[in-house]
Amino acid sequence: MRVANRTIFDSIKINLDKATEAMAEANMVVSSGKKMNRLSDDPVGLVTVLDLRSSLANIEQLQKNINTGRSWLNMAESAMSQIEDVLSQAKALTVEMSSANRSSDDRYQAATVVDGYLRQVFSLANTEVAGRYIFAGTETSAQPFAFDDDNNPTLVTYAGNDDPFAIKIGKDTNVDVGRNGEQIFGANWDADNIFKTLIDLKTALQGNDVQGIQNAMQTSDDHLEKIRNLVSDTAGKVIRLDVKEKIIRDLNLTYTERMSKLEDADIAAAIVELEAKELAYQAALNSSAKVMNLSLLNYL
Amino acid sequence: MGGLGAVLDIAKGALLTQKYAIDVVSHNIANVNTPGYTRQEPLLEANDAQRLGGVMLGRGVQITDVVRLSNDFIDSTLRDRKSDLASMEEKEVYLGILEGIFNEQTGLPLSAQLADFWNAWHDLSNDPAGIEERNVLYERGLLLAQSFKDLAYDLNQLEREINISLDAGVARVNELLDQIATLSVQIIDVGVTGNANDLQDQRDTLLNELSQYLDIVALEHEDGNVTVSTRKGHILVSKADTYPLSLTSGEIEWEGSSGQIVVTDTITGGKLGGWLDMRDGILPQIGADLDELAKSIIWEVNQIHTQGVGTQAFSSILGTNAAADSTEEMGTVDSGLDFYDEISDGSFEFWLYDNTGAVVGSTTINIVKNATTLDALAASITAIHANVTATVTGGKLQITAAGNYRVAFGNDTSGVLAGLGMNSFFSGSDASGMDVNSLLGSTKEFIAAARIDPATGAFADGDNANAIALANLQYQDVTVKHWSYSRGSTPTSQNASATLENHLQSFVGSIGIESQSVQRAREYNEIIVDELNQTRDSISGVSLDEELTNLIEYQHAYAAAAKLITAADEMLQVLMDVR
Repeated sequence: MRVANRTIFDSIKINLDKATEAMAEANMVVSSGKKMNRLSDDPVGLVTVLDLRSSLANIEQLQKNINTGRSWLNMAESAMSQIEDVLSQAKALTVEMSSANRSSDDRYQAATVVDGYLRQVFSLANTEVAGRYIFAGTETSAQPFAFDDDNNPTLVTYAGNDDPFAIKIGKDTNVDVGRNGEQIFGANWDADNIFKTLIDLKTALQGNDVQGIQNAMQTSDDHLEKIRNLVSDTAGKVIRLDVKEKIIRDLNLTYTERMSKLEDADIAAAIVELEAKELAYQAALNSSAKVMNLSLLNYL
Repeated sequence: MGGLGAVLDIAKGALLTQKYAIDVVSHNIANVNTPGYTRQEPLLEANDAQRLGGVMLGRGVQITDVVRLSNDFIDSTLRDRKSDLASMEEKEVYLGILEGIFNEQTGLPLSAQLADFWNAWHDLSNDPAGIEERNVLYERGLLLAQSFKDLAYDLNQLEREINISLDAGVARVNELLDQIATLSVQIIDVGVTGNANDLQDQRDTLLNELSQYLDIVALEHEDGNVTVSTRKGHILVSKADTYPLSLTSGEIEWEGSSGQIVVTDTITGGKLGGWLDMRDGILPQIGADLDELAKSIIWEVNQIHTQGVGTQAFSSILGTNAAADSTEEMGTVDSGLDFYDEISDGSFEFWLYDNTGAVVGSTTINIVKNATTLDALAASITAIHANVTATVTGGKLQITAAGNYRVAFGNDTSGVLAGLGMNSFFSGSDASGMDVNSLLGSTKEFIAAARIDPATGAFADGDNANAIALANLQYQDVTVKHWSYSRGSTPTSQNASATLENHLQSFVGSIGIESQSVQRAREYNEIIVDELNQTRDSISGVSLDEELTNLIEYQHAYAAAAKLITAADEMLQVLMDVR
């Protein structure tokens, strides 16, 4: 084919342009560390990356939710364990005080101890996590349990509701981390109510009412049983959260790895690629410089 | 004749001819870099021989013509390809800008905004009573809405830029048509007496430039005239007559003999073709998809949000969506409600609380899609209690409770609350109008994390049922319309079901795919144009080596012809010396 001068210069320009572009692209990959720098670099891969990225954002959020849930459950577990301890002590005291060789004075003094127990349980029933009451159902901003008379309580009222506070730990999974206070302390002012038992016990001790003390002894067994069940139920929930968190962590790792595989450049390969492009560019420069100088004029 | 005079004649003719040839060579050399220049070649021919006695004697050389070495087929193919290439290059530029606008790799892309928005609902569900969480959620919603608005604005801006380019492009096309007409007239004139090679080159250059703007067919006639028409056959120029294009309210019109004809959709090549592809195909499709996405997000979020209640009920509430005609049934298009087709038969609970916060009672309000008008709804709400007034203000529903009474809603199965924007999270119905309900901006307590207990009417500030429902929205499949636009035909849509996030991802991905395919087509066309260019240059391009060789060839011939004169002179001298 006849080669015109323009052809030579045009193809030099085109080839140098291409080589520069290839080098710039290779350099972009190396300097950004990413294979995908624009939408059009790999649109299909990009959609997958975006999907993984939103899954990751979601997983990180679920992890945050789990941490919130754990702090509620841990607090609930610790509060209820303490209540269990207090109730055990109260029971021991009841057993001791129901004994026939205890004087009315002993019993009257024991009433003061029981009053202390009552106040301990009362304050544990109003346990908060970050300013939110955990045994109030969803009425988390208002103190759920209140005495009718702070100095000489005869009645404890519940202001919460029966709708336990739940958090979201998975796509379809919510876990109740708060509790309906009535479920723990008793819904009505009857034998099932822990506060009533303690107040009745206190009154019986004050009035030296052995029968009343013995009644309290019976009910506190039921209470202990219930609290123990609740504690183990709470512990079970903590384990659920732990398992869920482990799954989420594994997912996080898998997703991150997949994402990195899709969008991160293999730096070693990218550098080799860059060197290759550089070499091609230099070769193009070299040959162009030689061809450009060739002309019949040099010999005339 | 014969004799020495003939030798001198031949020598003179040779000298002149070789000099002409050298002129042509030097013209070629001088134009080695001129774009569009076509190599010229002198055609040398031996003069007719003359019988002298019994022999035929040659009478030297003459130049019969100087021809352009071009191939019309290659030239027109190249022109067509360049026209396509110009169209693709323009599209590539604009898609590059679009890629920048929708960049998902850097900054704070839309998908990250959406993820942040969902996470803010999760955070609110972790502490529904917290004001900090409400503030963050409000900001996230605002950012998301702002991003949609910005994108819609950017798309709009691009369209405006393209229209400006179109305007300038059409003006340039008309200029070119005039210049081509002028040149054609000159070429026809010169063609009668001499050669019009350089004028033809100039006209070819203009034709090439014209083909950069739109796809043309150029037909060259024997007399030197060229008829240029669009590929669809609308004649643009012939001889001195031009039929210019004009841009009228965005449409390209052709001024034919029978008046103005809209030819917008017949232009496919060149820059105009590329711009029109962008403006009437790619941009509206992206815009429509963006709007559908925004609309779905607004609707789905509002739909759930209106089921809930904040930490306080409303003493006064104004809807965000206006009906054009409050006497029309809300579920019909005549109502002018943006979300009229989402309203269905159903009901919602209207709760009323007195000045102490105690529940006064609830009323079930029934909505019939094709029967209930906005005015009727307002009337039935007003009828509930003396302290409650519902009016229609500017097409929007306004409910006011007097005497420190408060109202709240729940369990809406009709979608009317979201349709009217009562207790909604977002306002607006498309990307450019998307915003967060201004009511939530002033009172974050109205962000509905809780739900009203359907039995008692109570709601607790630690209730996160609605916040969790909203956080769940991100996992739910939602039907979103996907549009496909193609120039010159009515856009079609098809419904796809996926999560909102998936919709967004495939939307962004489709821009990347579009851009990638245009890039590839451009690269492919570029290679073809390069090849054709080389072929064209191999025929029409100037090779200096060749010209220099020719130069030396003609130079030697010139010297030899001069030598002939010297020889004839000497011979004459010899004759003169004979006495």
